[in-house]
Amino acid sequence: MVRAMDRREFLQLVSASPLLATETQASLPVYHVVTPFAPEPGAGMPGAYRGQVARVHAASCIDEKTDAVDREVVRRMLSSGMRALTGEKSERDAWARFIAPKDVVGIKVNSSGAPNMMSMPELVAGIVENVIGVGVPPENIWIYERMGDQMRMIHYDRFVPAKVNVWTAEHSRSSILGYEPRVYVDVDFFGEDDTRSCLVRLVSEKLTKIINVPNMKEHQAAGVTGCLKNISYGNFSNVARSHRLQKTNTYSFIGTLAAVEPVRSRTVLNIMDGLRGVWHAGPFSMDRRFRFYPKQIMFGSDPVAMDRLLIDVIEAKRRAEGAPSIFDRSPEHLQSAYSRDPMKNAFIREPGHVQYAAGLGLGEYDIARIKVEAIEL
Amino acid sequence: MIALVLAAMLPVLYSDAGPQTAPALRELGIRRVAVPASSLKKWQGVDGISAEAADPERAVKLITPSVNYRAYDATATQAPWINSNGWRYLRNPGARFFVEAPGPAAALAAAEANLFGGDTLVHTDSAGLKPLGEMLAFLRTLGEDKLPPLVNIGFVDDRTPVSGERLNMMIVRNLLVRPVVAPDPHLDLNVAVGDKGYPEAAWHNPDLLEHVVRGNLTDDKRLLRVFGTDVVIGRLTGDADHVRVHLLNYAGGRRSVQGVRIRVLGSWPHQTAAVAGVPDAQLMDCAVDAVATEFTIPELKTYAVIDLSR
Repeated sequence: MVRAMDRREFLQLVSASPLLATETQASLPVYHVVTPFAPEPGAGMPGAYRGQVARVHAASCIDEKTDAVDREVVRRMLSSGMRALTGEKSERDAWARFIAPKDVVGIKVNSSGAPNMMSMPELVAGIVENVIGVGVPPENIWIYERMGDQMRMIHYDRFVPAKVNVWTAEHSRSSILGYEPRVYVDVDFFGEDDTRSCLVRLVSEKLTKIINVPNMKEHQAAGVTGCLKNISYGNFSNVARSHRLQKTNTYSFIGTLAAVEPVRSRTVLNIMDGLRGVWHAGPFSMDRRFRFYPKQIMFGSDPVAMDRLLIDVIEAKRRAEGAPSIFDRSPEHLQSAYSRDPMKNAFIREPGHVQYAAGLGLGEYDIARIKVEAIEL
Repeated sequence: MIALVLAAMLPVLYSDAGPQTAPALRELGIRRVAVPASSLKKWQGVDGISAEAADPERAVKLITPSVNYRAYDATATQAPWINSNGWRYLRNPGARFFVEAPGPAAALAAAEANLFGGDTLVHTDSAGLKPLGEMLAFLRTLGEDKLPPLVNIGFVDDRTPVSGERLNMMIVRNLLVRPVVAPDPHLDLNVAVGDKGYPEAAWHNPDLLEHVVRGNLTDDKRLLRVFGTDVVIGRLTGDADHVRVHLLNYAGGRRSVQGVRIRVLGSWPHQTAAVAGVPDAQLMDCAVDAVATEFTIPELKTYAVIDLSR
């Protein structure tokens, strides 16, 4: 399925990480990445803060009974986290490390659990305030996501200045018009006829920088859904085809998509919303029983390091609840459909996708090499 | 690749009503009807409508074209199930066909007849007359397609039911195939039951056979690819200087396809679109290189014809 290239087009044949076992490499799908965009040297993931994460915890950031968010506490968490990550004394200087006034900024939120779980509007509003504070006009800020039906439930527009754009790629489900046909990953997972996953058109045509705002969630297929999953599956069409029955290809597809240009070069900052999270049956949150409240926000330019820490957060919570590890692959824990039993899951989870992404150069996986600055408010 | 001559003719409304319905038909743009032989005399001489006698019992029966969205029920894949008559049309060249197509399906049935080049009687209800009239009007604007069909797969058809399903699976997945009586060396790939290179299970599982055929041909050699939807079937006609791309949305009348990306093998720098129900349709994101031509149709309600040329 290799197609011809012209001189503007880079065909990236993604190979497995040298860290991976031979038998795993042999079973990987063959990916053909087609994009006219070249990497911007030094830009994007893993960024200037490879292997560094700032983590801010505030017990009063959210009310566990009502889910009401204290916007002022979130503002302070944002300020502390950004200054801790960058070492800057002022918020403005901290944000200016990533964003310039001339940028067109995308804020990639996560709405796949809406209305029960999503990038909190209060946090997104705080990010918008800071981006405007750097000098970016509101009309050059785009809060975006793939699925219009999910986004419409959240009403981000009620939390941000009027000229800030709220945009979705699929205003009507399955429309491809919001995607860029020149940028895609071609792969045949299960014999499906449509083998292309195309990039969100907003990313290729408008945005110069992306701030990635995932949640802290377990994921039935990927193991966890954090920075990498949000910036990959959340930026490309036709990705659900990577799962069938109990098998999922998230192990290699997530990192492959995240590394596609211009996604890799334009994603400059990750702010993980851990005010509340999901420890089972994610990415959705249909059962309140599986919601929990880490009451924290993580900051970094390195999505792998942040997701490595996320694995520990989810594993710790699952251990506390008596649920199997997300690395568990036992058939006895598989069930063919969505399960309300925390002992069961629909897929063999693939949390190894985080380490795979490290092998693609997207960041630091080795926990011994990840420096965490923890702040308590 | 081989070209076959296709007799292009418009489908016709089969009416078991009397000539008193003629004014309504004229208003809807229906200018030709087929009627039972016993009614022909009454219809002859009716102003603005030509009538011919036809016997549905002597025609090849078709199913109503449609999509079944119950992806997990009795289907071989996760894709919606398409009720297509493509294999019936290709198996019976020169035959007359008959289809019951109530409501919006009448337009689909007419478009499907045009897609596969069949001489088809369309029987519908009162709700189907308007969509049928609109589709016939659209088909008239296209003119006769004198270009031969383009296919690059030959299937040696033993005319058994299972081979009918084998053909069907290839057609609905947009492999451009035609039945042959013996392997044709001019085609890129010939498939005959029992061929080496196919697992035994493939002969008992038409879905698996389609996957193996696709793998043996390779996607690079596919004359036509359709992205962004599982409910559109395409066919090509053409010669050295032109290609005509026919595309039918089998969910048409119920759901439009919002964006369908097409890849046609060959370098075709000039493209003209005609899309039923979309006046002055324009293509998006056209891309032409030495190997292939790609474009996006922003909205496909039912049927579209894209003319490509050098």
